[in-house]
Amino acid sequence: MAERKLERRAALDPAVADLLSGMQQRQTESQLPRKERERLTKERAKIQSRRDLRATYDLPPNLRESIRVLAEELRLPASQLVTLALARFMNEYNNGQIDLGKYKQPSRSPRYDWNLIFPEDLIHVKKKK
Amino acid sequence: MMKIFAFANQKGGVGKTTTAVTLADGLARLKIRTLLVDLDPQGHLALSFGLEKSPGLYRLVCLDEPLSEVKVAVRPYLDLVTGDKQTEKVKRQITLSDFRETILTDLLRDASYDAVLLDMAPSLDVLHINGLIAADWVVIPTRLDALAVDGVKEILTTMAEITRTGHSYQGYSILPTFFDRTTRETLIQFQDLARTFSDHVWPPIPQDTRVRETAAYGKTMWDYSPNSSAMEGYLEGRQKLGGYRQVLGRMMEVING
Repeated sequence: MAERKLERRAALDPAVADLLSGMQQRQTESQLPRKERERLTKERAKIQSRRDLRATYDLPPNLRESIRVLAEELRLPASQLVTLALARFMNEYNNGQIDLGKYKQPSRSPRYDWNLIFPEDLIHVKKKK
Repeated sequence: MMKIFAFANQKGGVGKTTTAVTLADGLARLKIRTLLVDLDPQGHLALSFGLEKSPGLYRLVCLDEPLSEVKVAVRPYLDLVTGDKQTEKVKRQITLSDFRETILTDLLRDASYDAVLLDMAPSLDVLHINGLIAADWVVIPTRLDALAVDGVKEILTTMAEITRTGHSYQGYSILPTFFDRTTRETLIQFQDLARTFSDHVWPPIPQDTRVRETAAYGKTMWDYSPNSSAMEGYLEGRQKLGGYRQVLGRMMEVING
């Protein structure tokens, strides 16, 4: 007889699962001693306050690696290096010192009109001697 | 293809009318051609749009007037078939008719809408059965207390009986309403629902006094309190959990198949 294929039940709606786990966590925490509860509340507030600083972008792996290496070399947080780089870019772009036109190619995506196509040597950052 | 949603729970006061009104208005704002039908003799759908109660359903079923003449256009993309105490006469007429369980199905079959939302009365009568038979998808709003959750089980039992007569549903969803995440009872009932019904449970609608005010002003939530917690849900980190906007998204997934 052929073995019956067992199927798992579909998972919860993601929003329901997140809400439920948050409520369960709060319920568990409410039974902890006061000091422990205060410590967890502080930790959560710290994480919460950092959330607005987070951003997610796709970067070429070698560029990301260059940032990591430089940050380690200078013993700095990589986020601060990236902040400096982006702030300088925005200033220069707003002052008309950067022309994106030479990188622009029409995009086939319904979401965007353009893609930026970079020459290889721009992305492969050369290390300062 | 037109989808018919029934909003049902034999328990009263669980938010069926508010949910039907808010989601119907939300669909219309997304340019989904929507018809909202009041199957409840209380006739509260008309009041929710600032209109007087009128015997729309009675005219449709008992006087054989065409849907095009009975419906009221309440806003672009949204029509309403009103109800009032004459809906009781509809029940009597249906009881005396042949093929009585499918009268509503037959009346709605050729309607040119993308979505039809049936706001059902908290009862188990012939009109209720008609609504459940006409429906492709049943939305069961429920408070998270033992009595209301029992109402969910009753509806599912009735649906199972209807299924045995040959009707098939595309699905059903349970919508927790008046949700108060700070109480232990809510957590216990929510865990229980999630364990029993898994992905049939939609994100909940937070308890919100603005909902009651909205009805008093004859407005919908989209007009009166579009940023209230009942609309927006809970903010957890960066994501919003629950609320009518998110539930509208789930409904669109059903409509788009």
